[in-house]
Amino acid sequence: MFKKIGFTNKWSVISFFLIILILMPSVFILIGFFNPISDTWLHIRRYLLKDYIYNSVILVFFTGLFSIIIGVSLAWFVNAYDFKYSNFFKWGLILPLAVPPYIGSYTYVGLLNYTGVIQTFLRNNFELVLNQSYFNIMSLSGAIFIYTIFLYPYVFLITHAFLQKQSASLVEVSKTLGKSPISIFFRIILPISRGAYVAGTTLVVLEVLNDYGVVKYFGISTFSTSIFQTWFSLGDINSAIRLSVYLMAFVIIVLFLEKLSRGGKQYSYSNTKIKPLKAKKLTGWKNWSMFIYAFTVISLGFIIPVLQLIYWSIISYGKILNMNIIQTVLNSIGVSLVGSFIILVAAVIIANTVRIKKNILTKNYARIAVLGYSIPGAVIAVGVMIFFLKMDNFIQLISGQNNMLLLSSSIFMLIFAYLIRFLAIGYNSVESGFNKIGTDFHEASRTLGNGITKTFFKVDLPMMKPALMSGFLLVSIEILKELPLTLILRPFNFNTLATRAFEYANDEMIHESAILSLILIFISVILVYSLTYIKKKGR
Amino acid sequence: MRFLNKGSILLIVILVFSFTTLIMGAEEEVNLYTNRHYDTDKLLLDKFEEKTNIKVNVLKGGSDELIEKIDREGEDTSADLLITADAGRLHRAKNKGLLQQIENDTLFNNVPENLRDTENYWFGLTVRGRVIVYSKDRVDPSELSTYGDLTDDKWENRILVRSSSNIYNQSLLASFIEIHGEEWATEWAAGVVDNMARKPQGNDRAQATAIASGVGDIAIMNTYYLGKMLNSSNPEEVKVAKQLEIFFPSQETTGTHINVSGIGLTKHAKNKENAIKLMEYLSSVEAQEMFAKANYEYPVNPNVEPSNLLSSWGEFKPQSINLSKLGEYNKKAYMIFNRVGWK
Repeated sequence: MFKKIGFTNKWSVISFFLIILILMPSVFILIGFFNPISDTWLHIRRYLLKDYIYNSVILVFFTGLFSIIIGVSLAWFVNAYDFKYSNFFKWGLILPLAVPPYIGSYTYVGLLNYTGVIQTFLRNNFELVLNQSYFNIMSLSGAIFIYTIFLYPYVFLITHAFLQKQSASLVEVSKTLGKSPISIFFRIILPISRGAYVAGTTLVVLEVLNDYGVVKYFGISTFSTSIFQTWFSLGDINSAIRLSVYLMAFVIIVLFLEKLSRGGKQYSYSNTKIKPLKAKKLTGWKNWSMFIYAFTVISLGFIIPVLQLIYWSIISYGKILNMNIIQTVLNSIGVSLVGSFIILVAAVIIANTVRIKKNILTKNYARIAVLGYSIPGAVIAVGVMIFFLKMDNFIQLISGQNNMLLLSSSIFMLIFAYLIRFLAIGYNSVESGFNKIGTDFHEASRTLGNGITKTFFKVDLPMMKPALMSGFLLVSIEILKELPLTLILRPFNFNTLATRAFEYANDEMIHESAILSLILIFISVILVYSLTYIKKKGR
Repeated sequence: MRFLNKGSILLIVILVFSFTTLIMGAEEEVNLYTNRHYDTDKLLLDKFEEKTNIKVNVLKGGSDELIEKIDREGEDTSADLLITADAGRLHRAKNKGLLQQIENDTLFNNVPENLRDTENYWFGLTVRGRVIVYSKDRVDPSELSTYGDLTDDKWENRILVRSSSNIYNQSLLASFIEIHGEEWATEWAAGVVDNMARKPQGNDRAQATAIASGVGDIAIMNTYYLGKMLNSSNPEEVKVAKQLEIFFPSQETTGTHINVSGIGLTKHAKNKENAIKLMEYLSSVEAQEMFAKANYEYPVNPNVEPSNLLSSWGEFKPQSINLSKLGEYNKKAYMIFNRVGWK
């Protein structure tokens, strides 16, 4: 019977149990959906739901749109043209990814408000007091700006990597046919890179839907703030679950519409012959305007916020008591390394099973593996907490030891939550790695009588190294910046850079949070840089 | 089997890493869930550890999240004590059956009756008022009187206040529901919405800054934020704070709204004795000075003088309601805000 559903080797057995494990918390959550409707829910539906939907849709639509415009145009420019510092921009434009949006939002508010550097300068030097609404970033459009400028790198990163490898021959053919650069961009580049930027935009959209810090600070009600509100302020977990099911439905509709719009005409284009595009050297005003465009983006997304944070760190340096910074840094690094490692291992096991055993069961593995990315952090937190407490009860039952929470008071709970939340990112990297190496070598090795496991370690793994490393780094950056799960699920005395920076900022001590934010950004920058280094070498 | 060796070594590394956080030894300890995160709190707890040799383990988080966590952990909870920055939240913890009563003379002496639970499930540690802050230039203090007066037409387009999702606003409105009834509270909230200078946004500090920049003239905010701004490391913020003055509303009538951050012993505390020792310590004269000063709040212990800054603001008459009511009417208050469109 086990053979029937594909339990023919270790890989599929382990995959099966991993998938079950990943599904458990969602199951505990979904049970809540079938509870009867409460008064609170009627209240939410009557007074609040419209706002949630409106705000979420506006945020997602415009952030997605602007991220595509900025991400794709820049990815094309750095590939097709050789302008001032364009080699630096190839990786420099990813840097905004190192700044968590909530830190970015605190920084921009502090920069722009009445006591911030800009207004203070104008006031004290020119006695200029401008209308405050010019500086007000705490609005829907402000939130769109924050999300776009710190999240567009997802679109840039993936589109850039795609264009680097795939566009050369098509572009050269079009050139010989006499097409203008603008027509090449709109008629060739945009259609062929569609898969790449849609993948990037999907990540942006899911980040926006899940973000809690920015919208909470700006006072905008979205699905993610309302889930926390309903669960905590109204104490109604069932209505909170109802809202998250709505949110997940929303995500699924977005993904479905995207697929539908592509219809039959899929311009997927890929070529195994990798040939880099020859960049055209620019001179004069064209050279300068490209440089200014790229420099403006990187300034807004990285240089300006970092300078502001450095300034705050300097003025608040003496005030910070008892920071224990080293321990905090070690915690942050430790938890992201261990978390990423476990996520990558799980991703490899599942992806390898999917690749080798194609049946109804494994077909759905991939979908389940990426499911967690669309579930709001708060909901994962509850689900994981319930699941771990149930397991602890079970352990108590077997061991006969009462009053002990072995698992749910340990860091395993947090790492498991990361696994659910970020498996999608690890899985996508691993999957693209497997796609790239194909199955020829694998089958050759199997024909020679090697088992799946031996073949994996001897044949597949060495070829997969770049893909695994970049997956590892991407997940590490995410865990480093992660907030709601870490806040709720961490064990005693466990602080990370993200939680401490948030705590200070949340207590309206923005200057004090600056130094922790800076260290966090600095570590992320190292990871981002290693990421591009691997990509370069992998080429 | 190279795979097994490699794999198992990595696994061991991970397990060791994970368990180092688990193994904390069997020494004397007390586990504290708190949503205060001031650096001075840590110094205070260090002092307690030194004095008593009881190790204090701290888990920080939002008060709602911590309460939910204690609730989910049930009988096995690792929390001995819960500190939250709002009486309403302590009341919720009590209502959920997460706290236990304490009969302790030291605590009774250190914490006045109105600042603790009627049945002694929780005890206040620090006090803050939710007051009106006004522009020295544009507002004559004689214009100000009660909270109710804020709905008067003369304040049209002049009031600044943060969003209703904030617990301090919810507790303020809950106190009005207790004192004046639901209808009055609804009218009051609607009246304030009509007079707002802008849609609610930002935190309490942002409201104060908005007065200085001329967006509005008066703001509803907590006392300690002004203290924080006066001591800010940004000189511009200090300048802003100096243009502002505190007004304690409703002095002739029902009193100014106050709230506490307080502490409760969990129902299933495993280290009850140590926990009570810590409660006694935090309410003692020695600790109260630092504990309250850290956040520019008023100490609960009547034998401790408030800091110079707070004394300079003068004494005030607080609302006389029992603070448990803030929790009781929290949900009602939140729903009123939604109904009148206080974002």
